[in-house]
Amino acid sequence: MTAAVEISDVTKRFGDVVAVDNIDLTIADGEFFAMLGPSGCGKTTTLRMIAGLDFPTEGSLKIFGDEVGTLPPNKRPVNTVFQNYALFPHMSVLDNVSFGLRMQKVDKATAAARAKESIELVQLGGYEKRRPNQLSGGQQQRVALARALVNEPKVLLLDEPLGALDLKLRQEMQGELKSLQRDLGVSFVFVTHDQEEALTMSDRIAVMNEGKLLQVGSPEEIYERPANRFVADFIGQTNLIEGTVADETTIVLTNGARVAAPSDHAAGTAVALSLRPERATLTPAGAVEAADGRTSVDGVIAGVTYLGNALVYDVALDWMTIEVREENRPAGDRPSPGDRVAVSWTTSDASVVV
Amino acid sequence: MTDTTLAARPPDELIIPKKSLWDRVRKTAPYAYVSPFFVIFSIFGAFPILYTFWIAMHDWNPIGEKEFTGLENFSNLITDPRFWNATKNTFSIWFISTIPQLILALLLATLLNRQLLKMKTGFRMIVLSPQVTSVLAVGIIFTQLYGRDYGLINTFVVEPITGDRIDYGVGTWSSHIAVSTMVMWRWTGYNSLIYLSAMQAIPRSLYECASIDGASPFRQFVHVTIPQLRSTIIFTVIVSTIGGMQIFAEPLVFSGIGGAQGGNRRQFQTLTMFLYEQGFERFKFGYASAIAWALFLLIVTFAMLNYLVTRRISQDAS
Repeated sequence: MTAAVEISDVTKRFGDVVAVDNIDLTIADGEFFAMLGPSGCGKTTTLRMIAGLDFPTEGSLKIFGDEVGTLPPNKRPVNTVFQNYALFPHMSVLDNVSFGLRMQKVDKATAAARAKESIELVQLGGYEKRRPNQLSGGQQQRVALARALVNEPKVLLLDEPLGALDLKLRQEMQGELKSLQRDLGVSFVFVTHDQEEALTMSDRIAVMNEGKLLQVGSPEEIYERPANRFVADFIGQTNLIEGTVADETTIVLTNGARVAAPSDHAAGTAVALSLRPERATLTPAGAVEAADGRTSVDGVIAGVTYLGNALVYDVALDWMTIEVREENRPAGDRPSPGDRVAVSWTTSDASVVV
Repeated sequence: MTDTTLAARPPDELIIPKKSLWDRVRKTAPYAYVSPFFVIFSIFGAFPILYTFWIAMHDWNPIGEKEFTGLENFSNLITDPRFWNATKNTFSIWFISTIPQLILALLLATLLNRQLLKMKTGFRMIVLSPQVTSVLAVGIIFTQLYGRDYGLINTFVVEPITGDRIDYGVGTWSSHIAVSTMVMWRWTGYNSLIYLSAMQAIPRSLYECASIDGASPFRQFVHVTIPQLRSTIIFTVIVSTIGGMQIFAEPLVFSGIGGAQGGNRRQFQTLTMFLYEQGFERFKFGYASAIAWALFLLIVTFAMLNYLVTRRISQDAS
């Protein structure tokens, strides 16, 4: 099967600034694909190159097998939903949605009928005559979606589409976008800086930073086996425990402790052990036995943060402080600041990153 | 001195007037703060308008007698063919200068708004330079350019093409065109900068969105730029109308020695020139004031009409 989007060795420079640095990326047909990274990481530039709003400085960009290098946006089987919706304020919802069809010289009646269908699809039936400024943010978002979908793109590009919505609406739209994508069966390429959004919605995620593609994988792969420190730290919370590779099954931590952690890095490489706060277990000091196959370090509770459903403990080790997250439990049953504890984990709970 | 008077009074009397003075200040202060506009407007706006109307109801010679004549000046005016001639000329020159001027300004602004344009600031300054040139200088130079015998336009354009020379000042149309080009030269750049600033406020994503939908640059201009500039276009049309109805210096200079008569057949005499002629050359101030009032009403009516028409047009465009 041909990939929906195939990016090979693409670099984009604006003057001296390298916005996208030699990336390779393949997006499958019918996939919900997220591009995740902090502001300025190159994710939006990548999206704009797929859309045809920017052109690669170097490299090849194929959509369904066709090289689209410098093809204008309207000649590509893609459409874009902009972050600020970019609705025409002087046009009604119906005119906004049918604009693309009218530009393609589709006759008026057909254009209106297809636009209506598209408006129904995003559940805005009855709002056809309204102007964008008479709609709420969420409704404007839906109009933007309808306007993109009416042109029947094979790939829909969404640039931080939910960024301007409040939390509740955002969560609602996340679910709707996901089910819409499933029903339509077209690829959605979704740019976001919100890691939670990327994790909940996507089939696969590409993590970018400073123009480079750091890792591509399913949400679980990205979260459980981050490729490097940046990915580990950017996606969710993590403790990065510094150390050096001793051999393929062991690393030596800064305090000299040898812990079991398989990695394929050469001996002597400086690495960090990425341990998610919720994967670490707290037990009273001395209660863990090495025979369990668990790695354990001793520390003292330095602080407790109450999150309602969970508790986050700051545990001071000899050389650093790490966070441990546990489900809430009755007040009398919790360790309190000053208590000596052991933090333990199994080898599969932590991953070695460079 | 004040101290002794104050000290002479018992303390309770001292406090009460002080309090009420402060209260009075507090009550009147807001009016004082907003008053400068009203004071200045009354002196330089409302008073002259009303006083002009009072003058218009007289046969008023500033160095002679004045006699109350009621509305006679007005009734004379509407039967005066010179008034209708001047009105017709004013509208004709306004039309020939404003419509092309605003279209040109819109195109110029589009060019200046181009991403690829180099030396943007330089061009924007050049575009505004006619604005800071003296109207008299503009009038004199254009009058020379249009000259019958030695004018560059006749020598290098008209004669090589038609084999003949045009005496621009003599014909009605030719004189209107000559005067209109002066107005256009002076105001096109100014209007284009107004359009430019409005264009720069249009979000780029609207154009990107339109181009994704396959709209050509021309259709983007029609479907995005023009509707987005709606209120700015209305503004420039109204300002140009108010200015165009009062056009004076350009035709006056163009008419040369003939002065405010605007050509030997009054073929390019505008309303303000007619007003000036009656008031300051014939010293018929009452009649001139009646012209001023007619002009005032004309501008108000016409500006409102323009507002309605422009609003309709730009709504249709969207």
